[in-house]
Amino acid sequence: MAKVTDMVLWDKPGEKVLLLGNQAIARGALEANIAVYAAYPGTPSSELTDTMAIVAKKAGVYMEYSANEKVAFETALAAAWSGLRAMTAMKHVGLNVAADTFLSSVGMGVEGGFVIMVADDPSMWSSQNEQDTRVYGKFANVPVLEPSSPQEAKEMTKYAFELSEKFKHFVILRTTTRSSHARGGVELGELPEEIKAGKRKFGKFKKDPNRFVDVPSNARKFHPIVLEKIEKIREEFNEMPFNWIEGDEKAKVGIIAPGLSYAYVKEALAWLGVENVKVLKLGTPFPVPYGLLERFFDGLEKVLIVEELEPVVEEQVKTWAYDRQIRIPIHGKDLVPRVYEMTTRRAVTAIAKFLGLETPVDYEELDSRYEKALKLVPPRPPSLCPACPHRNSFYAIKKATHSRGIYPSDIGCYTLGLLPPLNAVDTTVAMGASIGIAHGLEIAQNGSLSEEARKGGKKIVVATIGDSTFFHTGLPALANAIYNRSNVLVVVLDNLVTAMTGDQPNPSTGQTPHGVGKRIPIEDVAKAMGADFVAVVDPYDIKKTYETIKKALEVEGVSVVVSRQVCALYRVGQMRRRGEKWPVYYVDEEACTGCKICINAYGCPAIYWDAEKKQARIEPSMCWGCGGCAQICPFGAFKPVEGGDE
Amino acid sequence: MKEYSIVITGVGGQGVLTAANILGWAALNAGYNVRMGEVHGMSQRFGSVVSYVRFGEDVYGSMVPEGKGDVILSFEPVEALRYVNHLKYGGMAVVNTKPIVPVQVSMGKASYPEIEEIRAIFEKDWGAKWIGFNAEELAVKAGHVITTNTVLIGALTQIPGFPLGEEHVREVIALSVPPKAVDMNMKAFELGVKAAREILKL
Repeated sequence: MAKVTDMVLWDKPGEKVLLLGNQAIARGALEANIAVYAAYPGTPSSELTDTMAIVAKKAGVYMEYSANEKVAFETALAAAWSGLRAMTAMKHVGLNVAADTFLSSVGMGVEGGFVIMVADDPSMWSSQNEQDTRVYGKFANVPVLEPSSPQEAKEMTKYAFELSEKFKHFVILRTTTRSSHARGGVELGELPEEIKAGKRKFGKFKKDPNRFVDVPSNARKFHPIVLEKIEKIREEFNEMPFNWIEGDEKAKVGIIAPGLSYAYVKEALAWLGVENVKVLKLGTPFPVPYGLLERFFDGLEKVLIVEELEPVVEEQVKTWAYDRQIRIPIHGKDLVPRVYEMTTRRAVTAIAKFLGLETPVDYEELDSRYEKALKLVPPRPPSLCPACPHRNSFYAIKKATHSRGIYPSDIGCYTLGLLPPLNAVDTTVAMGASIGIAHGLEIAQNGSLSEEARKGGKKIVVATIGDSTFFHTGLPALANAIYNRSNVLVVVLDNLVTAMTGDQPNPSTGQTPHGVGKRIPIEDVAKAMGADFVAVVDPYDIKKTYETIKKALEVEGVSVVVSRQVCALYRVGQMRRRGEKWPVYYVDEEACTGCKICINAYGCPAIYWDAEKKQARIEPSMCWGCGGCAQICPFGAFKPVEGGDE
Repeated sequence: MKEYSIVITGVGGQGVLTAANILGWAALNAGYNVRMGEVHGMSQRFGSVVSYVRFGEDVYGSMVPEGKGDVILSFEPVEALRYVNHLKYGGMAVVNTKPIVPVQVSMGKASYPEIEEIRAIFEKDWGAKWIGFNAEELAVKAGHVITTNTVLIGALTQIPGFPLGEEHVREVIALSVPPKAVDMNMKAFELGVKAAREILKL
């Protein structure tokens, strides 16, 4: 079994391999002869970027982890302007960050194929909202392609580049968590000679200020052009290979299934044993092609649209039907929920109701059995890893502020500091928002330092933000807080990688996948911006961290404490690979008084409570040897096992 | 075979994804269509984790629908129960009975059920066959706790009607672990096979 990343570059057309949806998209981009790839990681899009990072050099593709989605978008866009095939990828909320450039540049179009991969997260498995990117497509008049399987994800990516180039227009390839993180058999296609040779491709930017400068006089010309393009693309989609009609041609009922919903509809129909329906499989939720609708609606007496989240297809279909004076019932969000992700259960329930059938499972009965079972199940939310340096930073912050501060935080694993026992996260909104919110809270609570500095006024607002997030959108917020004489403490939880999405590098790491990066020390940035107090601490030294934070809280103005220690998950992964061991801690039964500080204030997942002996214990297989417990225990009960272990 | 669906559950970091991958490859090598769904990102950080492996002639969705799973393979007893709704009535449960106690339980904010209570729900309310044993203990016997998932996969291959041949699965395991760990994993696999056969009285 070869490594997945090798398989993505395999020159073995016809070979069938098991790929993650995101990896299949990477393969599709390579088969399409992509030249430039730039992205900021965000679950569920990250593996596409990570795969590109590993294969890029061999394939002659320029690839970068950008500082945020907006600059990633701009990097790829400019390459596409230069006639190259280029791609950027992000999660749904990442498109909000890139939206300024996206919506302003769409009228300019492109020369080379430009594909924007956006991964939505219905049900919010690791996101702050569940916005539907298809709405953005409609808003910007950019076509949206949506695959229904890993195989299709690969093929569709290739097609997306061709479509973009043909119309010189942007194309969104939209996935969801369940398509990005689905695995399936994918048949490899041909790789272009240039990719096989690993030769870097270069383009040529042809100056055209009337096109590439969006002063109003130019921009005014763009909007009608975009509207014209999207109607032409609507026509094109009548014949595109990922849209088709299947099932019983003479059926009186029809189901429209866009994107991944097609898979659920197929399963539901098979499960229900229903055959006399016509299905419109739609790979293009926007724009919906009218010719295909015409053919599909022929002879139908009622229609159901099974789509996830917003009624994007439903509204287009209903508008079209109204204009054609087609007066048959068209169901959609009345039978399919508008919130959370599509499931087979949802599809089968909606279809059963639509057709007046029984569901194959008595869900009411199942739910009541399940409810009874769940009563026994304790919650197990994700938590900061054992040995996570952020746990110590939070612990020190809480201690230094006597738990009486306000703690705005940000997007990253450290958002888990929200959970008990740390309870160290009071707000989280969006990337980089911790510092902006901190400043606003400070103004609202204390009035900030304006003309007359609040003498002896202590800080009460402590923002926490990760290193990647700091460079993503924390920078302007910090500049704003310093410039406006705020009185807040910003603790940068610097673990030197973008940990939440899989340890990708960022400006604090310095290293790029190709080793050519330059590290930007966060403390240098803070000093250059004029922060009133700047310090760097190692959070594995809890006492020193606590003392530094205490000092920072006394200084008027904006204080920045960089709490720096490498991500524990990353460190342990590296050590495992090298066959190295780390010290494992245990509880000295003589010393443990059962005070529970380690459980009720520190909360390392490796520490559990022995209810019989009324003492703390460490699960050795989960201890990653940071020794934080030994520092916070007042009785010295935590000790390393002699000789160390893994 | 139209479709066979496996629900794999456990705690982030236990190797749920690796186990799913091994089974997915074995199914692909056996000539089936395969569709798998899994959890990534923050949800993996020592939280509850679930992965789905589906294969056969007709497979569509990457998730195993509620009430349709043929078998639950669980690395942790409570995590088996958390996803019991995905199992069909009369399905199978292969469960590592070694608990990992959540922080909430240590803090006294929730309680952890007895293994027998969990078993009773599977057997009585789901009419399921329960194959529970301490897989971690067997993994340690095989050489390292890290082979717990291999032990469990070994046990899985023994359940009645399991469509993948033992050899197909062994082959993938041997190819997916570091060369020096192959023997240890084969031993772990064998211990899992033995444990399941004893419970099933085969």
